[in-house]
Amino acid sequence: MSTHSTPHAELNALNALNTSFPFTAIVGQEEMKLCLLLNVIDPRIGGVMVMGHRGTGKSTTVRALADVLPAIKRIEGDVYNRETVDDVDQKQRRQTTDDGRRQDGSSIVRRPSSQKLEKIPVPVVDLPLGATEDRVCGTIDIEAALTRGEKRFAPGLLAQANRGFLYIDEVNLLDDHLVDVLLDVAASGWNVVEREGISIKHPARFVLVGSGNPEEGELRPQLLDRFGLHARITTITNVQERVEIVKRRRAFDENPAAFMQMWEPQQQQLRKRIVHAQKILHEVVMPDDVLLRAAELCMKLGIDGHRGELTVTRAACAYAAFQSKAAHGPIDVKYDDVKVMATAALRHRLRRDPLEIVDSDERVARAL
Amino acid sequence: MNWSDIVGLDSAKQALLLLAVDPSLGGVAMAAAVGSGKSTLARAFAALLPDGTPFVELPLNITEDRLIGGLNLEAALATGQRVVEQGLLAKADGGVLNVDGLNLLDDAVVTQVMDAMSRGEVRIEREGLSAVHAAHFMLMGTYDSNDGNVRGGLLDRIGLIVPFVSNGDTQARAEVVRRNIAAPLNSLEQETDEMAMLRGMIGFAREQLSSITISDEQLEGIAQAALSLGVEGNRADVFAAKAALAHAALSGRDAVDDEDLQAAAKLVLMPRATRLPEPEQQPDQPPPQQEQQPKPEQQQQDEDTPEPPQPEAQPQIEELLLSAVEAALPGDVLNLPFTSRRGKSGSRGVQLNDKRGKFVRAVQGEMRGHKLALLPTLLAAAPWQKMRRETEDGRRKTAGDERPTPSLNRPPSSVSRLSSVLITKEDIRVKKFRDKAGTLFVFVVDASGSMALNRMRQAKGAVARLLQNAYVHRDRVALVSFRGQQAQVLLAPSQSVEQAKRELDVLPTGGGTPLASALMLGWDMAQQSRRKGIPNTTLIVMTDGRGNVGISGERGAGGKERLAAGGQQPTAKQQIEDELKQLSALIAADGVGAVVIDTQANYLSRGEAPRLAKWLDGRYVYLPNAKAGQIVAAIDGAG
Repeated sequence: MSTHSTPHAELNALNALNTSFPFTAIVGQEEMKLCLLLNVIDPRIGGVMVMGHRGTGKSTTVRALADVLPAIKRIEGDVYNRETVDDVDQKQRRQTTDDGRRQDGSSIVRRPSSQKLEKIPVPVVDLPLGATEDRVCGTIDIEAALTRGEKRFAPGLLAQANRGFLYIDEVNLLDDHLVDVLLDVAASGWNVVEREGISIKHPARFVLVGSGNPEEGELRPQLLDRFGLHARITTITNVQERVEIVKRRRAFDENPAAFMQMWEPQQQQLRKRIVHAQKILHEVVMPDDVLLRAAELCMKLGIDGHRGELTVTRAACAYAAFQSKAAHGPIDVKYDDVKVMATAALRHRLRRDPLEIVDSDERVARAL
Repeated sequence: MNWSDIVGLDSAKQALLLLAVDPSLGGVAMAAAVGSGKSTLARAFAALLPDGTPFVELPLNITEDRLIGGLNLEAALATGQRVVEQGLLAKADGGVLNVDGLNLLDDAVVTQVMDAMSRGEVRIEREGLSAVHAAHFMLMGTYDSNDGNVRGGLLDRIGLIVPFVSNGDTQARAEVVRRNIAAPLNSLEQETDEMAMLRGMIGFAREQLSSITISDEQLEGIAQAALSLGVEGNRADVFAAKAALAHAALSGRDAVDDEDLQAAAKLVLMPRATRLPEPEQQPDQPPPQQEQQPKPEQQQQDEDTPEPPQPEAQPQIEELLLSAVEAALPGDVLNLPFTSRRGKSGSRGVQLNDKRGKFVRAVQGEMRGHKLALLPTLLAAAPWQKMRRETEDGRRKTAGDERPTPSLNRPPSSVSRLSSVLITKEDIRVKKFRDKAGTLFVFVVDASGSMALNRMRQAKGAVARLLQNAYVHRDRVALVSFRGQQAQVLLAPSQSVEQAKRELDVLPTGGGTPLASALMLGWDMAQQSRRKGIPNTTLIVMTDGRGNVGISGERGAGGKERLAAGGQQPTAKQQIEDELKQLSALIAADGVGAVVIDTQANYLSRGEAPRLAKWLDGRYVYLPNAKAGQIVAAIDGAG
C-alpha cells in the first residue's frame, strides 16, 4: 500500500515524478528566474516571493531550480545536512547524554556515525499544503515507538531543508499557524521541538521561496515583508515566446528524458556560472558612493528600517558576481546593478495604500 | 446504452473523447444542472476507458485524511508497522476523478486537488507520516453556475471546459426520455459494437498522437487568439494545442487542420475568454504585435528576442479561431466562468475556528475553550502506548527506590489513565470548525445623478479602509453600484486588496436609479455567501433613497415630475415604491443587516432614505459629505 501504484504510461509522461522541466528551457519570466538564482548565490538575500497570474509557470520554475543547484558537503548521512559537528546545539547534546539515555537507554538523536564528508545536491524541500506541524518540525519516530516502545526523534521537513531551499506553492493558502512557525524558524535559523518529554533544537537555515496568485487569496502584509525579494509575473504576451512555450512543453511531455538531455549543455553552463558567482562573491566590493545612493533611494521611497537597503545591496552584489566574467576579483558594484535589483527588492516594502492608483513598481521606477 | 444514445451534451461528449485520447489535458469541467444527464455521461465515459481504469467519485463532504491519505491505524497496531493508507487522489491515479459539484467543494479540498494536479502526485506530510503517491488523474467535474463559480486556480488546470451545456430543446428532451425508457436494464454494462469501436478509435488515436504535427503558424494563431480574448496565463495555449492534436488524432489526420483548431477554440479558449476581441482589423495593416502594453519585464525580453515578421497565414488562423469562439458563445462573454463575478470569492484558504461552522478537522491543542475530538485523541495516543507503559513501569520501579523521581524523568504533564489508555497533553485533539468570515459588507452605492462621483469616492475610501482590516476580522467586502437600468457587481465578496484595486479603478456614473435591483443583487450575494459559510451580511446602502427604476428596468417619474404632479403619484412610481418596500421587508426578514447612508444634501431631502432604512430595519446615518473614516465608524456601530 505504501508503494506507488503503477500509473498508465500515457499519464506518466504528463508530469513525470522525478523529472522536472529544465530551468534553462523556461521561456521568459526573467525577473523570477534572476531572483531565484541570486538567492542560490547568496542565501542571505532572504528568499523570494513570487506572485502572479495563474498558469505563468511559477511552480514549474521553482521546482526546476533543484536541477541547477550546486552540491554542498555534509557529514555522511547526517539528517540535518550539517558540515561540522560544532553545529550541534548544546541543549541537544545535554538532552542526549543525560535525559535521553537515562530514560530508555537509547539516544534521542541519531548522531552521525562518521566524520566523513559527502557531497549532496542543495536540498529543495517542497512543502505540501496539507502538511501538519509535526511533520514540518519533526516529532517522535512513530515506528520506533510502536514496535520497540523507543523514544527517538524523527526529524521533519525543516531538518531536511537545512542549508537548502524550502518551497511553498500557493503560500497564501497555507494555514496561518504553519506560516507563523515557518517564519519564526526562517528568522532564527533554529527549529525547537518539545514533545513526549524530549527537547530538541537543530539548525534550520533555509531560503524560503513562496509562490501564489493574489486573486486566490490575499497575503498577510507581514508575510510579504519577510521575503528578501518579491518577483511579480504576468502572462507572457509575446506571440513567439508563447509558441516556444507550447513547443517545449509538448516535447517535454512526450519524452521527458530526451528533452532533459537536449537541454543538459545549457543546464551545465548555468551550473558553472552559479558556482563561479558563489566563488567570487566575497570579492565583490560595494563602493561607498553606490551604497550612499542605495540608501538615498530607500529614503526617497519612505521605507522603514534597514531591511530594504540590506536586501537591495546584497542582491546587487550577487547580481554583479553573477554577471562578472572575470576569473577573480575585486569587482566593483555599480549603481546600475542596484537599479536592476531595486524593484524586486523594494516593491513590497513601500507603505501600502490599497487604492493607490500609482503602482508600487511605478513608484520605484520614478524614485530611480 | 450507446455513447450516441446520450442526447444533447455534444460538446461535453466531444471534450471527453479528447480527454480520453490525451489525459494530459487534465480534465473536463462542464456546467450542468441537475437532471442534464451528467451522471449517465460519466458512466458512459468510464465504459470508454480501458478495462481496469480507476474511476473514483469524490464526495463533497470528504475529509482531508480520506482525500490525501494517512496512517492506517488498524494495520499499524496489528503489525506494529507504519502502513500508509492511500487517499482518494492516489486511488484515482491513472484514471478518472469524478466530482459532481466542483463549485461546492470545500476550499481546503479544492486546494489539495489543485496541488495534486500540479504535481502529478500526492505528498503526505502529516501525523508523523511521510509518503508520496502518484496521482495522475483526469478530472471530470460538473458545476452549476447558479451556486457560484469554480475556483479559478482549479478551473485553469482543467484543460477542457464546457461552460454551456444545452440539451434544452424539447425534441432532444423527448428523445432522452424515449431512449431511457427503451434502454434495457443494466444496458451500460453490456458492450455494444459502438462502444467497442469508439474504444478502438481512442486507442489508435493515442498511439498516433505523438506523430501528429501542428505548424508554427497554427501555434501563433492560437497564441494571438488567446491574447485577443484576454485569457490569463500561458497554460491555455498548451491545452489548446493539445486539444487540436487530440482532435486530429481522433479524426485520423496526421496534421492539425482548421476543424481541429475550431474544436480547440471552442473547448479551451472560449471558456477562458475574459473579453471579446476588438472589431476586425484592416486586412492591409500588419497585425498588432501586442494587445496590451507590455510590462517592463516583457520589454526586456523583447529586446533579447527580436520578433521576426509575422507570416501571412497567422492572422487568418487567428480569425478562424475567433469566429469559432464567437459561434460557440451563445450570450455575453460575461457569462463565462472566468469573467462572471457572481460568487467569485477571494478566498484565503481555510479559516478555522473553535466553536461554530462545519467540522473540518481535529488539531492538536489545549482542551480549554475547545471541543474535544475523542476519536482523534485516542488515535493520536495509540502509537505511543507501548513506549509510555514502559516508561511508566520504569518510573514506578524508580519510585519504589528510596529516592523520588527527578522531575526531568517525568512524562510531560500528568499522564491520566483512561481505562488502560495512557493519554498525555500532546495527544489532545480538539475540533476545528470551518468558518470563512465574520461578516460580508456589501456596499450598495448609488451611481446615478450628480452626487455620484462624490459618493463613489467615499465608498471607495470606505472599502479600502475595511479591506485593510479585513484580514484581522475575516471580513469580506463587496461593492454593488446602480445606475441606468441595472445594478452591477463591481467587486465580488473579497478580501483581496489586489483584486479590489483592479476592479474599482473605473466606475461608471450617471443615469437612472434602479435601487430595487441593487438591493436584490446585494441580497443575492448575502444568500450565496451564507451557502459558502459566511453567516452574516450587512448591506451599506449609500443613496438619497429615491429609486426611480423598477426591477424590470421600467422607469418611473423622476423627482421633478413628481413635484409637479403634486400629491397625485404616477402609477409606475407607486409600483416602484411598493416593490422597494416589499423587497426591503423580505431582506430584513432574511436577517440581512442594513445601514442606509443618506448622501442627499439637506435642503433637498424628502425623507426617502430614512424610510428605506425603516423598511430594511436598519440604521440610518445622515452623512452628506462623509469621509471614509466616518462611514467605517457608522458601520462599526451597526455591527
